[in-house]
Amino acid sequence: MPNIKIFSGSSHPDLSQKIADRLGLELGKVVTKKFSNQETCVEIGESVRGEDVYIVQSGCGEINDNLMELLIMINACKIASASRVTAVIPCFPYARQDKKDKSFFDIPVDNLYAEPAVLKWIKENILEWKNCIIVSPDAGGAKRVTSIADRLNVDFALIHKERKKANEVDRMVLVGDVTDRVAILVDDMADTCGTICHAADKLISAGATRVYAILTHGIFSGPAISRINNACFEAVVVTNTIPQEEKMKHCSKIQVIDISMILAEAIRRTHNGESVSYLFSHVPL
Amino acid sequence: DLKDSCRMNVPKSGYRVFSANSSAACTELAKKITERLGVEMGKSVVFQESNRETRVDVKESVRGQTIFIIQTIPRDVNTAIMELLIMAYALKTSCAKNIIGVIPYFPYSKQCKMRKRGSIVCKLLASMLAKSGLTHIITMDLHQKEIQGFFGFPVDNLRASPYLIQYIQEEIPDYRNAIIVAKSPAAAKRAQSYAERLRLGLAVIHGEAQCSESDMADGRHSPPSVRNTTGHTGLELPLMMAKEKPPITVVGDVGGRIAIIVDDIIDDVGDFVAAAEILKERGAYKIYIMATHGLLSADAPRLIEESAIDEVVVTNTVPHEVQKLQCPKIKTVDVSMILAEAIRRIHNGESMAYLFRNITVDD
Repeated sequence: MPNIKIFSGSSHPDLSQKIADRLGLELGKVVTKKFSNQETCVEIGESVRGEDVYIVQSGCGEINDNLMELLIMINACKIASASRVTAVIPCFPYARQDKKDKSFFDIPVDNLYAEPAVLKWIKENILEWKNCIIVSPDAGGAKRVTSIADRLNVDFALIHKERKKANEVDRMVLVGDVTDRVAILVDDMADTCGTICHAADKLISAGATRVYAILTHGIFSGPAISRINNACFEAVVVTNTIPQEEKMKHCSKIQVIDISMILAEAIRRTHNGESVSYLFSHVPL
Repeated sequence: DLKDSCRMNVPKSGYRVFSANSSAACTELAKKITERLGVEMGKSVVFQESNRETRVDVKESVRGQTIFIIQTIPRDVNTAIMELLIMAYALKTSCAKNIIGVIPYFPYSKQCKMRKRGSIVCKLLASMLAKSGLTHIITMDLHQKEIQGFFGFPVDNLRASPYLIQYIQEEIPDYRNAIIVAKSPAAAKRAQSYAERLRLGLAVIHGEAQCSESDMADGRHSPPSVRNTTGHTGLELPLMMAKEKPPITVVGDVGGRIAIIVDDIIDDVGDFVAAAEILKERGAYKIYIMATHGLLSADAPRLIEESAIDEVVVTNTVPHEVQKLQCPKIKTVDVSMILAEAIRRIHNGESMAYLFRNITVDD
C-alpha cells in the first residue's frame, strides 16, 4: 500500500506491531523518550511528507503521559507535511468523565465495536453457548447485552441497583432467570471490578452453573486482580486494547481476545476510502 | 454567613484563587501566595484515580468571577498540565468570567524551536491552554521571551532577578569582589543584565562542553554545515565551513574573585559542574549559581555536592525540597510576594510597570 505510514506510541507497542503485521507493513521509525525533567520528547525518524499517517496509542497506563505523547506525535506529523493524520486510540481515555459521543468531536470519529469478536469467542470457547444467558451488570448496558443475545439467539438478564432507603447500601437485584445456565456477563470496561465481582456472586447464588465475564477494556486498576482471584469466575475475557501480559502473570483467569485485525482492517479501509461500517457486524479473518 | 465572609476577606467584586496541583509539595507556593493576598484558597479536589486518570472537582460557584489558577510544575509534568487544562475547562464551562493561569515555571519551554521532525511542543501547549479556557497567563523568566508570541492573549513574564540580586547583596559578604559569569554565550545577555545592576564585571565561558541537547539544530534554520555527498547537480550552493568546537575557555578574568554564574533554569547540572571546574582552575575562590527555576533533575543534588560549586540559589517556582535534603548547598529564595502582587494588580486593573522597574532590556 503506497503513501501509508503507521507509528506506535509507547502505550501498547505489541498491539501496534500486530496491526502492522496484518497490514504487511513495517512500523514507522519514531523515537519517544523523556528528558531528565520528565518532559516528553518525540522525533519522527522518517519522512511523512504527503503520507496518510496512522498513530496507534491507547489510553492506558500513565494516561497523561501517553496522551501528551500522542498530541506531540500528531503535531510533529502535521508540521512535517503529512497529508492526513489519524489517531487510532483502542481504549479512549477520560471516556467516563465525558461521553465518547461523536457529537463532541469536530473531526470524523469511527467508533468500532468489539461485538463481532466477542460473538466469535463465545461460539468457539463456550461449549454450551446455545443455552447460555447474557447478563448486563448494570441497567445501562442493557442495549449492549440484548444486541449480543439476539445475535446468538439466547436469553438475556440484567442486574440493577436498588436503593431502598437513604442510608442503606444499594441492593443488587437480578432481573431474569439464570437457573442451571451458563451466565456470561458483558460490559465495556473492567476497572476496579467491584461491580462485576458482586454480580458474579449474585449469579452463582441465583443458580448459574458457571459465570464468564467478557469486557472490552481491561483496565484492572487498584484491587481488581485480587478481587477477580477471589471471585467465582470461570474466566475473565478482555480484548487487547490494553496490554495484559503483566496482569495475566498474576491472574490465571484472564484470557485475551485479539482485536488487532479489526483495527488493521479499519485502517486499510480508511486508507482506501472504503466503508468501515462492514466491520460493525463482521470480524475480518 | 456574615462572620465567615468577614473572616475570608473576599473582595466584593469577586476573585478566587485555586490551585490545580494534586501533590502537597506543589501547593506550598499557592498557600504562600494566598496568605500574602489575605484570601482563602478556592475549594476544589484534584486527584489521580486508580486508573491514572486525573479528576478535578470544583466545589464552589465561580459564575461571573475572575479566577486565578496557580499551577506548579513538578516531576510529573504531563499530569500537572492535564490538571491545569481540566480545571480551566471546568471553570470555563461553569461560566467563570476570566481565567488567569499563574504558571511560575512554564513547562516545555525548552522545546520551543523546530528540531529534526520534532514538534514545537511549546506552541502545542499554548494552543491547548487557550482552548481550555485560559484568558491570561502570569509566568516567570520564560526560557525564550518569544514564547509570549505563541499565545493570542496577554502573557505577563515576571522576573526573579530583583530577588536574586537582593540575595547577592545581602547574603554574599564579599560580593563587590565578585564577577558575573555566563556558562555559555547564550546566557551572556542575562549575565550582562545582572552585571550592570550590580556594577560588577562579566565573564563568558565558551567551548567543547557547551552543546546541550535541546539546542541541537539541524539544517532547517541555518545553512547546512556539511556538504551532502549525494549532491544534486544544478543549484550550486557555497560550502559552509563546519563549526569548529574550541576547547573550553573563559573569556574574562576571574582570578582572585567570587564567580557568580547566572541562568534561568538549572536542570541537568553537567554544564554547571564543568563551568565551576574551569572557573576554579582560573583562580575563582568561590562559585555561586543563581537560577530562577531549580528543576535539579536526576543526579543533580549529588553532582552539586561533589563539585567545586559552593552554593546553588534558586527560587521556589519549582518544588525542590527533596533535592535540598540531599544537598545542603541548595538555598531557596521566596518569590511568592511578586506573584501575589501581580495577581492583586491584575485584579484591580492597576499598572504592572512597578514590578518591572528594575529590569533591563536583556533580562
